[in-house]
Amino acid sequence: MLTALAQPQKLPVELAPGKIVGLEGPAGLGLTRVGLSLLIAPSQVGTVVAIDARGGWLSPLAAWEVGVKPSRLVVVRCSNPRLWAKVCAAVLEGVAAVYAEVPTGVGENELRRLAALTRARKAGLALRPLRGQLPAGITHLRLKGRAVSWEGPERGHGSLTERQLSLEVSGKSLPWQELQATA
Amino acid sequence: MRTICVWFPDWPLAGMPEDVCGFVYEEGRAAGGETERVAAANRLARQAGVTIGMGRRASEALCPIATSKARDLGEETRRFEPVVASLEDLVPRIEVVEPGLVLIAVEGSLRFYGGEDILLDKVIGTAGPGARVGLADGPFAAYWAARTAVNEPNVVENTMEFLSRLDISVIDREEMIDTFRWLGLTTLGALGELPRAAIASRFGDEGLRAHRLATGEDRPVNPRPIPPHLAVEAHYDDPLESLDQVAFSARALSARLMNDLRREGIAPHRVEIEAESARGQVRRRVWRSADPFLEYSLVERVWWQLRAWVEGEGVEGGLVRLRLDPSDLSGRGRQLALLEQSEMGWETYDANRPEAERALHRVQSLVGPDEVLQGERQGGRMPGEQVLWFRFGEEPTPAERDPLAPWPGATPGPAPALVPPEPRPIDIEWEGGMPHRVRLGARWEQVVNWAGPWRLLGRWWKGEEAADRYQIVTSAGAFLVIVRGERTFLAGIYD
Repeated sequence: MLTALAQPQKLPVELAPGKIVGLEGPAGLGLTRVGLSLLIAPSQVGTVVAIDARGGWLSPLAAWEVGVKPSRLVVVRCSNPRLWAKVCAAVLEGVAAVYAEVPTGVGENELRRLAALTRARKAGLALRPLRGQLPAGITHLRLKGRAVSWEGPERGHGSLTERQLSLEVSGKSLPWQELQATA
Repeated sequence: MRTICVWFPDWPLAGMPEDVCGFVYEEGRAAGGETERVAAANRLARQAGVTIGMGRRASEALCPIATSKARDLGEETRRFEPVVASLEDLVPRIEVVEPGLVLIAVEGSLRFYGGEDILLDKVIGTAGPGARVGLADGPFAAYWAARTAVNEPNVVENTMEFLSRLDISVIDREEMIDTFRWLGLTTLGALGELPRAAIASRFGDEGLRAHRLATGEDRPVNPRPIPPHLAVEAHYDDPLESLDQVAFSARALSARLMNDLRREGIAPHRVEIEAESARGQVRRRVWRSADPFLEYSLVERVWWQLRAWVEGEGVEGGLVRLRLDPSDLSGRGRQLALLEQSEMGWETYDANRPEAERALHRVQSLVGPDEVLQGERQGGRMPGEQVLWFRFGEEPTPAERDPLAPWPGATPGPAPALVPPEPRPIDIEWEGGMPHRVRLGARWEQVVNWAGPWRLLGRWWKGEEAADRYQIVTSAGAFLVIVRGERTFLAGIYD
């Protein structure tokens, strides 16, 4: 169980087979890297896929940096909401885990079907809606980006080194809580 | 592994009169939704039709005048201890499954005794009347050999053939047995003939276990490596003398062991209990379970064993040390909680699944081959340049820029997770040559801090302008920005 932490720590979240993690919040609050880091463990055993719904923005550099095996990571670009669910379902049929950006316009029913497929196929799925929230009852764990602060730059000097995230964590059988983590 | 099983069917019946119907019941599911079932029945009860595993109420209906009592495993263990001790004089490290049931691995002592038959005779002689003895490959087959033995020991030469004749109910999973019967699979042999993959995909972990049993693989053929230092030990400066103290410490130590194992995602099939008395006498006993031990089942066994030692021969001077050493570890037997730190979740995943490739080819047919990509690192000063993209399923073209070259002037710090295919114009307000505000969509964000500029000399021979790079931090996140002349561009979001 997560406990509210006074001191920041490494993010203690993992993507287990058959589980769905939701990552909500605007770009900049640090959730892409968190989402990609969920692929580390599955990439040790099988192919993992990142679905890019922003039209080619997703960079695999960050994934490699956090420890995802480069040879096991495949990036699929699909920002068409009518095709997206089909693509995601096809990917889930075969690979170990998926980090998927959800374009606006994907229906709730399609997401529920994907959730069921994820459980049935024992894959791991991290959903990152580009706008808004995921419907209730889909995810086992939901991370909401609240704030981010960076260390390193000092009015021109230095460079980005480490960040501290403030996340809201909630999920099935978990009470709501706020978590400070470096990630 | 050749294994002898010694089973005393009437062990729980001790102290029960022989001249009236009598049986001992225990908790457990039985037909008709009963929650108590018969663990042992005496001769008269058996003649009346009472069988092991039958529900308590059904048995009482068959035999209304029967005397019955609940099973007391602690007491049975205490009585069983001398039997185990004398068997252990024959063969070291025998395994107790429950009072009245032990398993003996034959292999180690064959050479000593000079053959299976001689060893078997000695075991029968030591166990005495009332014991049923079976010899087969593996604990499961040996147990059923003993169960089906009547007066003579049941020596199974061809274990596969023996198993294939057993009724499907021996797998001891009620819901699955019904389904198997409904599907027309009435024997283990019929189950064993089906492809394992099909059974596993339809019935999951439990189905796989049943199939393994049916095909003579008693245990997963690929046991997990045993992480070191899993044994737990407790020393007591003041020797524990009362049974209550011993019970309390046994519970605490068992809980500690299971907690440690849970963190590793494993549960043991075998636990060695070792106790040392104040006089220096060390006693050891191995307990085994067909299903991996859970905390309560381990606590129970440790408690029975200690009680048997304390109440039997006694622990002289009190107990000064207790050690629990797990072995034969299984990965199954418990459900991982969502946030548990454990690598076991993905361990059973088959990395060479052909499905991954097939799935990605299907995706290629949906979105086109140019949208299903893999990347390789290559050299470059901007994050966008450092990825060499290639289509999934094709070989990468040789890198244009050497990733191992030094690349002075490369953008420092972590890579931005979001990099636009081409730098996008972005509005930045400057004050005294320093970034002051950034426009994100419709709102302006105050710049909290920034790093840079780092000069980027463009390829002037190709007409590229020189540019400056900044890392700009706002409360909404950090951005990589390029300033080229009067214009500013977004080159990455540190998301």
